[in-house]
Formats: sequence, structure tokens, C-alpha cells
Amino acid sequence: MIRPGIKRGTAELAILSILEEEPLHGYEIARRIEEQTKGKLRFTLASLYPLLYRMEQRGWVRGAWENSASGRRRRCYRLTPQGRKKLAPLRLEWAELFRALRRLAKVADA
Amino acid sequence: MPDWQKLVRRRLASLALEPELRDEVLAELASHLEETYDAIRAEGVPEDDAVRRTLSQVPDWNDLQRRIRSARAKEVTMNIRVTRFWLPGLITFVVSMSFLALIEKFGPRPWALYLGDGPAVIRTTPSLMVYIPWLLLLPLIGAIGAYLSNRAGAPIRTVLVSSIFPVLPFIASFVIVLPVGLIIDRHVGVNVVAAALLRALLGWVLLPGAALLVGGLFAVLLLSRRSVSRSATAG
Repeated sequence: MIRPGIKRGTAELAILSILEEEPLHGYEIARRIEEQTKGKLRFTLASLYPLLYRMEQRGWVRGAWENSASGRRRRCYRLTPQGRKKLAPLRLEWAELFRALRRLAKVADA
Repeated sequence: MPDWQKLVRRRLASLALEPELRDEVLAELASHLEETYDAIRAEGVPEDDAVRRTLSQVPDWNDLQRRIRSARAKEVTMNIRVTRFWLPGLITFVVSMSFLALIEKFGPRPWALYLGDGPAVIRTTPSLMVYIPWLLLLPLIGAIGAYLSNRAGAPIRTVLVSSIFPVLPFIASFVIVLPVGLIIDRHVGVNVVAAALLRALLGWVLLPGAALLVGGLFAVLLLSRRSVSRSATAG
């Protein structure tokens, strides 16, 4: 069953999937998601950070300050083992949502 | 270019969080805006337009403030403080005290210093005992504390305080013992009690604290170099 919070779940899935590749800071997370979805999914500062902080609260990601090569201090987020575990069910929910939408589309076409 | 730090501080002036956490959030958001602005400017967009586009990242600052506050609830603050400071500090304390107990039992005799004057009990009781093997181990223990605190995402100040945590209880006890000792022990001269306590302060606070701090600083240096090289590799 697809839970009501699926919309927020999509954003969480996007962030967890990006962080699965490597640890990144907030700006880079938003940039990569936009780049990899060809602009279909965009995070602004206002939409990204409350979500990141909530995910950190749940223990899915962990942020730590790091110095970049340019000397800029950034808070880098990495996936925790708990976050890695969360990815699989989230992906399943997504797949279920797509299947449901495909079925719905067929009914609508008929 | 606007001062993004100031701008974020002004717009989120009523963000009610613990001071340390609040500073982190404000610094992080300002850094995000700065990078957004730099990227827009790099596309050749004029300054005014770039500022306007950057600010469009946050349509409602009050709403953002409310959502950050709700995401960073008190419970989280407590958890963060525990994992960043108390846990690494207590581990450092337990490890250092365990080693001290082992060295006292099985290690070589400590280097002892006696006061030259005062009553017999003062002259025969060492006022300073230094366990050299323990002091040599402390930088490693301080580095462990710093590593654990850094791993939990603590800022440098907290990392360093975690590394010297084992001496904090001694500092607290000296703050109480020194004045109380001077008031209560009237049989011994003030200068003798003060000298004994100051030597003990050197042996239990200053020397171990310095040794722990050396380890903590070394760990911070190594970890910051590692993070820089990781960022450089990531591009």
C-alpha cells in the first residue's frame, strides 16, 4: 500500500539515493539532484534543509563540517547504516507507485 | 555582493535553537546562498538579478524558520550534544582513568615532588606526582576523544573540549577545593596550602590537559587534511 506521505518520501528517496553515491554538502545535493533528473526535480534552500535536518534527526544521514579545497567550510552529509536500510523500502514504495500509475493510465486509455 | 551571513542572521533572527546549533544552521544556510549566488554570477547574470534569484530560494523566511525549528527539536539538540560532547568526553575520561589505575598498580613509581617547608605531614606528603607513562599515553586518548566528537559532526571547539574532558572534573574540584582548603585548614600557612594545591593543579590539570590537547589538535589537523583531500578528489 502506498502511504500518504509518499510525496515527502520521493524527496527523501532522492536525497538518500544521491548520498548513497558519496557524501555531499547541501548545495551539491540540490545541484546533483537537479542535474540527474534533468531539472525535473528541484530543491531550493527552503525545501532542502528542513528535510535534511529531519533526516538527520531520524539518524538516516549525518552531517559534519569539512573544509573544501578552496578553504570554504561546508557541512557534508553522509548516509548512515540506518539510512542505507531505509533506501530499499523507499525504492519499493516508488516502484509500487509507478506500477499503480501505469495501471491507472491503462484504465484511463481504455 | 551581500553579506550572506548577516542577511541570514537578520532574516532568521528569531530562530529559537541552542546557540551552537543555531550558529551552525545559520552558517550552513548562508554558505548555501553564497554558492547559489556565485553559480548564478558565473553564468554572467548581473549582480542585482543574481541577488534576486538567490533570494528566491526562500519565498517565506518565517515559514523556513518554523520548519527548521520543528526539525531541530529539543530532543535532537540533546541527542546531538550527547553524541558530540558527552559520549566522546566520557569515553576519554574512562579510558584515561583506567590507564591511570593500571599504571598506578603495575607501572613504574611516579615522579614525586615534596614541599620543602611546613609541618612534617606536609613535608612527607608529595605535593606533585607525575605518572610519566600515563602522560605519554594521554595524547592518544585525547586524539580518540577528538576523533569521536568530530565523527559525530561537532565543531572544532567542541572537539577540542571533548579531547581534554578527563581534566574537567579535576578543574571543577580545584575550583572548590582551593578556596575551601584555604579557609578550613588554619593550622597550615596559606602560602603552603596554596603552593601544594597549585602543584597539584599542575600535575592533575595542566600537564595532563596539555598532553590531551596535543592529541586533540593532532587529530583535528589530520581529520581536516583528510576532509580537504576528500573534497579535492570529489572535484
